[in-house]
Amino acid sequence: MTTRFCLICTFLCGICSIAKAQTPLAQVDSLFASGQFLAARVGYERVLFTAESSALQVGAVMGKARCLKQQGLYAQAVTFLNSQTQPGYPDSLLYPLRREQILCAYLAGQFENALSLLDRLPYLHPEVPPSPLLMAIRVLSLNELRRWPEAAIAYHKLAMMAQADTLSMPYRQLPHLKSEKKAQWLSTFIPGAGQFYAGRPGEAALSIVMQSAGLYFGITSFLQGYYLSAWGVGAGLFGSFHAGGVRRAEVLVRQLNERRAAAFNANVRQQVLEMVK
Amino acid sequence: MNRLRYGLLVLVCLLAESAFCQTGTFSREWQFARYLSEKEANDEAAFVLQAIDKQALSAAQRDSLAYLRGWLAYGTKSLDEASRNLLAVSPGSPFYVKSRYFGAYCLSFQTQRDSARIVMQGLPATDSTLIELRAFEQAGLALLQRRYSRYDILRQQFSYSSYALSAEETRLDAYRKGLAAQKRRSPALAGLFSAVLPGSGKVYAGKPKQGIAAFLPLLTLGLLTWEGYRKDGPTSLRFLGFGSLFTVFYIGNIWGSTLAVKVRRDEFNRGYDNKILFDMHIPLRNLLNR
Repeated sequence: MTTRFCLICTFLCGICSIAKAQTPLAQVDSLFASGQFLAARVGYERVLFTAESSALQVGAVMGKARCLKQQGLYAQAVTFLNSQTQPGYPDSLLYPLRREQILCAYLAGQFENALSLLDRLPYLHPEVPPSPLLMAIRVLSLNELRRWPEAAIAYHKLAMMAQADTLSMPYRQLPHLKSEKKAQWLSTFIPGAGQFYAGRPGEAALSIVMQSAGLYFGITSFLQGYYLSAWGVGAGLFGSFHAGGVRRAEVLVRQLNERRAAAFNANVRQQVLEMVK
Repeated sequence: MNRLRYGLLVLVCLLAESAFCQTGTFSREWQFARYLSEKEANDEAAFVLQAIDKQALSAAQRDSLAYLRGWLAYGTKSLDEASRNLLAVSPGSPFYVKSRYFGAYCLSFQTQRDSARIVMQGLPATDSTLIELRAFEQAGLALLQRRYSRYDILRQQFSYSSYALSAEETRLDAYRKGLAAQKRRSPALAGLFSAVLPGSGKVYAGKPKQGIAAFLPLLTLGLLTWEGYRKDGPTSLRFLGFGSLFTVFYIGNIWGSTLAVKVRRDEFNRGYDNKILFDMHIPLRNLLNR
């Protein structure tokens, strides 16, 4: 009886140990699935700390990167993946890591970094064909950097690959960006013109009124013999509002350009995401 | 009888395994947390350390835990938590020396200078390098407290030949000279200067650009007031308006000049404190962070 009891216990212990050894990632994945991201990150790190198999390690790296992405810590994910892309891993396992790193770099707003990583990929993995997702990231990164001619070429390649309509290219009509320097020059010589150029007629009118008031006060004071008031108040007001108007025109044009670029990029992003789907 | 023997054997085995597991678990978790800390995965390391039950630990394990928690907090610049944990490590721990030195440094950084001085007096120093390091840290603290005579006594222990300390020792001497050469400026005198000539108090306080920036508008307002008085008389709106503005700016400038002395002094002291703290830190990292 005792011998049978001991044998059953031994058998059950053995089964449990084997199951535990086989599913270290599955347990952590369940933490991830239940939204316990920090606990899951620790779990994936634990797998990295103990596991000797490259497949398990890469699985853990990908898992931790997913957690960081879920928590919005994209820059941290890029740094983490950068430290984990070891040459010791086989190429088939390294490729997903590099792909994830590129995606995180884009999400972190590191557009130059994303493009640099994308450029390196064909040399590091010549056997892997370009994926639509990575091509989409290239298009979107180039867009964010306002390198639209290059983005148009990349978009065309992506559309060909996705067998989408290449005729209705959004790049046929690029956003018209205004010149900050031109706005400055306009405001320097014609008060309010820079603001008008930036599409803000209200601000332009206000600038004209304030500068005119300073000028008027200066001239009338001078004519009435108040030379110091003409200089100290009239010229002072005019000079201050004039210099401020020049700087304000530059800021307004920059804001306008940012709005136009953002609207264009959002439109392209929508189309690119539909293609990748 | 046989069954009883068998039962006792199983019980002894279970108890021994439990004790072994507890030690093994702590050691494994501690190693794991240290591995995370070295990878700068600080959130994860803190999570692991948080999960360790402190009540079930031996004294040595508690020391190791306090050290790692303190070190982690030090890495994340939570210096209050770092000093509290690091200074809780007892003398029997292998991390005692490092914990005491870094704990004292954290106190110095947090401007808890008197507490830091007490801790530094008891810093362990078992060889000539550590004796010199202790003197160096104490001398740095003396400079932070502006106790120059104490610094002069402590600096006699500087050898200026240790690879890890010589450059910092020379720099501390330079800071000592720089601090001693600081000009004592009087806020009252700055205010008086600005009352006589607007802006000159700020120049005296060591802020010449602010002095010019204060002088020009006051000169303009003064001239406008004078013009209003000369042309329209003392009851005119022009004279009263500009005169009131001039008065407000004039008084404000005198008040600003007295404050400028304090601001300049604080900037000077903060600049030197940062340099001293930086140089106190370098030898600690070089000698103890291994």
